[in-house]
Amino acid sequence: MMNEGQVLNASGPKKRGSSYRWLFITAARSFIVIVCVMIAVFFLIRIVPGDPAKMILGEYATPEALESMHHALGLDLSLGEQFLRFLSNLFTQGDTGNSIVSGNSTRVLIAERAPVTLLLIAMSSVLAIVIALLLATLASTNKNKWPDHLIRIFPTVTMGMPVFWVGLLLILLFGVRLRWFPVGGAGEGWGMAYSLILPSITVAFSQMPTLVRSLRAQMLDVLESDFIVTLKAAQIPSRVILFKHVLRNAALPTLMLFGVNLSYLIGGTLVVEQVFGIKGIGSLLFSSISNRDFPVIQGIALYCAVAVVIISLLVEIVSWWLDPRTKGKS
Amino acid sequence: MKTISAHNLTGPSRKSQGTLRRILKNPTLLGGIIMLAILVLLAILIPVISPYDPSAQDLRAFLQPPSAEHWLGTDQLGRDLFTRLIYAARTDLTIMVLAEIIPFCTGVFLGMLAGYYGKWIDNIISLVTDTFVAFPFYLIVIIVAFASGAGQRGIFITFMLVGWIVFARVTRGVTVSLRQQEWVASAQTLGLSGIRIMFRHILPNVLPQAVVVLMTDMVGLLVAIVTLGYLGIGIAPPTPDWGTMISDGQSFITTAWWLSAMPGLAVVYTGIALSLVGDGLADLWRRR
Amino acid sequence: MSKKYAFSRKLWVTGICTLLILVLVAGCSGGQSSSGSNENAGQNTNQAGQTEGNTGANPDQAATGGTFVYGRPAAVNSFDLHNQITANNAFAIDKVFESLLSFNSDGEIVDWLAESHSVSEDGLTYTFVLRDGVKFSNGTDVTAEDAVFSLERHLEVGGPLAIAAKVDSVKAQDAKTLVITLQEAYTPFLSELSNFSNGIIPKDFGGVSEEEFFKQPVGTGPFVVESWDPTGDVTFTKNPYYWQEGKPYIDKLVYKLIEDDSQAINQLKAGEVDAIESLALQNANEIKEGADTAVAENGSWVTEQIFFNTLDEHFADVHVRRALAQAIDREGLTNALTFGYAQTATSLLPTAIPYNSNDTVKALEFNVEAAKQELAQSAYPNGFSTKLLIASGNSSRAQAAQIIQAAGKEIGINIEIESIELAAFRERFFAYDFSMMINSGQADSPEANSIIAFQTDPDGFSKSYWTHYTNDEVTKLLREGQKTQDGEERAATYAQLLQILADEVPYIPLYYPEILKGVRSSVDGLIVLPNGSLRFEEVRIGQ
Repeated sequence: MMNEGQVLNASGPKKRGSSYRWLFITAARSFIVIVCVMIAVFFLIRIVPGDPAKMILGEYATPEALESMHHALGLDLSLGEQFLRFLSNLFTQGDTGNSIVSGNSTRVLIAERAPVTLLLIAMSSVLAIVIALLLATLASTNKNKWPDHLIRIFPTVTMGMPVFWVGLLLILLFGVRLRWFPVGGAGEGWGMAYSLILPSITVAFSQMPTLVRSLRAQMLDVLESDFIVTLKAAQIPSRVILFKHVLRNAALPTLMLFGVNLSYLIGGTLVVEQVFGIKGIGSLLFSSISNRDFPVIQGIALYCAVAVVIISLLVEIVSWWLDPRTKGKS
Repeated sequence: MKTISAHNLTGPSRKSQGTLRRILKNPTLLGGIIMLAILVLLAILIPVISPYDPSAQDLRAFLQPPSAEHWLGTDQLGRDLFTRLIYAARTDLTIMVLAEIIPFCTGVFLGMLAGYYGKWIDNIISLVTDTFVAFPFYLIVIIVAFASGAGQRGIFITFMLVGWIVFARVTRGVTVSLRQQEWVASAQTLGLSGIRIMFRHILPNVLPQAVVVLMTDMVGLLVAIVTLGYLGIGIAPPTPDWGTMISDGQSFITTAWWLSAMPGLAVVYTGIALSLVGDGLADLWRRR
Repeated sequence: MSKKYAFSRKLWVTGICTLLILVLVAGCSGGQSSSGSNENAGQNTNQAGQTEGNTGANPDQAATGGTFVYGRPAAVNSFDLHNQITANNAFAIDKVFESLLSFNSDGEIVDWLAESHSVSEDGLTYTFVLRDGVKFSNGTDVTAEDAVFSLERHLEVGGPLAIAAKVDSVKAQDAKTLVITLQEAYTPFLSELSNFSNGIIPKDFGGVSEEEFFKQPVGTGPFVVESWDPTGDVTFTKNPYYWQEGKPYIDKLVYKLIEDDSQAINQLKAGEVDAIESLALQNANEIKEGADTAVAENGSWVTEQIFFNTLDEHFADVHVRRALAQAIDREGLTNALTFGYAQTATSLLPTAIPYNSNDTVKALEFNVEAAKQELAQSAYPNGFSTKLLIASGNSSRAQAAQIIQAAGKEIGINIEIESIELAAFRERFFAYDFSMMINSGQADSPEANSIIAFQTDPDGFSKSYWTHYTNDEVTKLLREGQKTQDGEERAATYAQLLQILADEVPYIPLYYPEILKGVRSSVDGLIVLPNGSLRFEEVRIGQ
């Protein structure tokens, strides 16, 4: 369930006659999705009981203080008025307004937090892909021998491991006990990458099971296909077969899966950030929900929706490029 | 979970007399079923096995290490950890199963609908799916949990909202490929209604793959329930639950590590069992 | 056949993997696990102000300078001292602004920016003489005019910590003398002035706009804001003009935002921070026993309590409240939840507050039989069902709720725990939408009136802490206590008031948690104040 989503209707450009038409449909579709997300978020977060003013002023705030705070925040307006205000702000400024808690522009807040989260996603993705490729290759070329069995067990065992639990163990072992890595937070520059090593491993842990499984199954399918059997019979070196033909063919479905994982990760690093004390988008989302900081929640939702739409687009383009059928035609 | 591509599965054979033998011949499936059976049996029999009440406190004997009397020691309120661990299995497994039923049914139905009829139905359903995918997952989860208060209700609502998507996508894919086969066209010319074709002919072919996905999805759901417990918005006390037990025990990780390690391992154990069942079923159906 | 082997191998490997995880978990903890926190519970009570006595470095030659990093769970989002109350801001504001009076680690009021103060016989005129040589961090001298401006702005703004005394006038008699007159006597006034919200700011904000001023605040405090992210960290540098010569010893102070408590503890252990603000009671022993870490503790101004909604059909009945109070083993609860870092409560007031009457007030004792008899006298002799509201995410309260639930069951009161998220929790009890809840009462200043007024005044906005408890005798004693000059008479008034509260139990005081801060052992000279704030002026960081 953690990898709930899937790439936007992945029919891809290959089906369409005109790539312009495809582009237009995709763009329109993406736009509608983003607008739907924004409307849903706006009303969802206002259903939840809780008052931003009370979160800012605390339990001892006087009614007068609360009232003036409500007015300053525009929370005394009707829901409809608030929604109109929100829409006009969104379309004229491309922003969801200023944070209730800090007064800063949401865009600035997100821009400050985004690099660390993006780096975390990038590092963990590279890690997950490299390891998944290694393991899947090892497993599929040694089918039903011990490396294969070992590797097949891996996703079975790790699938049920909660991310925070893995993170906790890694912190205790490598951070507190061995002191190889910082236990949390994120430094600047190279320090940032260094301090993100443990979190990246944690995230990669949650990504790998499905990737390894999928890639292994696909590679076996390809390896056992007539096409490869013919190549083998033609005495083509197995390394060439593996890298030039097998991987390329097997990568396609896994790429889709990877896109799904990536979309999930964009808004889903929350738990890892919480466990490792990283000040990224996820922890900003969590504290904003706790504080009922509506503009920031909406801003993050916007950022996530846009990112997911872009990712699915990229996945489609890359898979189109990878797909041997499209290659054959052009 | 998306590893089994559609064309590999054509569904279970209608002849069922060989089913048991086939299960016995399928060690992965058998192993998974045995592991699950042990857990379920323990959960059912725990009142007989354990002399303790899961919520009976002993404020004078808290945080005891494992002993013959308390197999896994006691927690912060002096309750027997082993007893709570198994009672937690009751809670978590029940929620896991119940929370999957409705999303599974709606997901399969909507997926068939979208795959069979295509056109605008497909467009609307996939627009909704896309919107959910573009939504930060935790935003929905946390908001629903906050709105409904901590506890089972929040988990059920969340999964009714988002759980169906996986099933809808899988079923839609299979349905689309089935629809292009000749027998569907001939059934249509015979004048069978779309609903009848869907339920009588497409459903049996779609179900196997959906069930395989269900197994892995349950693992994910279990992990999600536990994660909510960790974030402090899961199942409310005093109901024993693995997630809350892990986060309660976290404070004592260096002094009484078993408090949070054991519930964690219980989650991993259940995960392994469900994955084995899923793998086994996929094997079984792939070989016809 | 090969399948069979494959399976047994699969099982094997699964088993080995599981074992490996077990070993990993065990390896992570290992070490000191044998000591067991059980034995330590109850041993170390009352080591107030422990770090002050921290030996180690010789104060005369210890290295000065360096950066002190303090891990805190919430960000500083405003420095506007007149509009803030919550700890995240208060404990940053009090580093930048200082008041005429302050309090020490024992909670005693001391002169601070004022060199001396005097109160007229009738309790209406307060005179303060400012210290010589006090400067703002921009180098300008502090005059009585600045104090007048500061207090007048506070009176005008009101804010969450509004001055409760009826102030008639605030005047600068000369450059160094400030005279405040009241319309009626109000004994808690001095303690009120010691609050951070009565800090002194430059007249007319030093010539800049209000908004600009609180972005770049200028005060007399030991530290100056260097950089500040309202959703993240704050970096302070030492105030070169600080009036306590040579202090602070450190050059920089960083407030590092670490939202997750266990993450904060890990960073402390790994030496990534020098101290952490939030240390849960159950983690204290672990930090205390750590080789490089220590616990700084002090008595607090906090009382953890069960609150009853006296408008609730069941809890309007005093016998029901008394029955439940007698059903709860408060001592056992305190032991199980606080590991020796709290004292079981008897009166409403924590021991660090004057006139707490803890020794004399007779609280209802734990006695299940008496509880049953008490319930038999109520309108619900056969028990009833009710709900206990708590905020989720607070492990201690979740545990306490389960203890209370078990206690209720013993006497036939069926309690359902309703655990909801903090913001929703506040909505609920602000609207009196609860039957009973667990929460804490906290004093703002070392003054009995501070907690009592908030929890007993039916006319105040807090409506006796949302219990709606109204008792004319209590209200009368409350008003008396506010007017009576300090001394035995005032003590008697509060003792009487607190006894009534103990008998009628609109709330059950459970325990007084201590203030706990996790600190690196290399840190010396940290002072823990009973409101939870720290003084960093004398901090030195060793090796």
